[in-house]
Amino acid sequence: MIAFISGGARSGKSTHAEALARRWQAERGGARYYLATARSGGDGEWQARIGRHRQARGEGWITLEEPVGLIAALERVEPGSTLLLDCLTLWASQLLYSSELAEAQGIAMLERLLSEARRRDVALVIVSNDVNEGMPPEDAEVWRYLAFLQRVHCLVAQEADEVIQVMAGLPLVWKRRDGEPS
Amino acid sequence: MQLFIGGTCAGKRDAVTQRFDAPHWHSAHAGCRLEAWRSRGAARCLVLEGWECWIAEQLADEPNDDRLRRAMMRELDALHAWEAEWGGEAVLILLEMGRGIVPIGRENRRLRDLNGWLAQDAAARCERVWYVWNGLVKELSR
Repeated sequence: MIAFISGGARSGKSTHAEALARRWQAERGGARYYLATARSGGDGEWQARIGRHRQARGEGWITLEEPVGLIAALERVEPGSTLLLDCLTLWASQLLYSSELAEAQGIAMLERLLSEARRRDVALVIVSNDVNEGMPPEDAEVWRYLAFLQRVHCLVAQEADEVIQVMAGLPLVWKRRDGEPS
Repeated sequence: MQLFIGGTCAGKRDAVTQRFDAPHWHSAHAGCRLEAWRSRGAARCLVLEGWECWIAEQLADEPNDDRLRRAMMRELDALHAWEAEWGGEAVLILLEMGRGIVPIGRENRRLRDLNGWLAQDAAARCERVWYVWNGLVKELSR
């Protein structure tokens, strides 16, 4: 099963996604993985952000770090596990700006992640950030990024069994799996 | 009249294409001027998109926001009248652009304000209003 959780900055999407991943793991057993697309290096502010996320997640997570290669990360996760991927905005920018991969290869990688997760019975919770409801970008490069991120979002929202937009910590349900508590 | 609203690349066009059979597109992105829809005559479904472009084009000529807002309202009312006269349905596609940081430039602030007012004025006149988000579509209720 696949969930897509998105919303604005500090809307509570990570908290919501973590709770969902915990619930799925409790139902299904197996290990609980956290796939960080953010590298743990960086400046003081970056480390503080990562530290805040880590502390909020609490115990019981196996952390993987992978800026771009989602399939390589998935292969490190045993079948039956639950995997939380946080987040697609960073993955998309790293794919466009610090990898050799083209956009089409990024989309193909994501499609493969979704199908492989289902095949390997890995429950996947994917977090992203909505950035397309402000003024449209004037810069062509920002446009390219936004258009790519939206293709990514539409693909994941289409494929996911559960899709939640988080606002002020509360869920707005777009798709709900049968039997999931509301 | 129906309204589809959503952010940049949210999937608005696909949402409309999936719901309406062979609509006539009146798009600012294809170079259509707003008022040119009036020469359309009969159509079962008339889709109007690119309202943010049509607003932007008028900013320089009309420095007064209230007057510009009313001019757009008159366009909406004319679409309503067109529906009654020809038995067609007008479908409006609007861009949600009000959820970012306040733009630095005055013209962009005006554009954002007028686009937001247009969305409210359009929704008030539409029988159905749809929010498009990441390719998914949800009907908004009053």
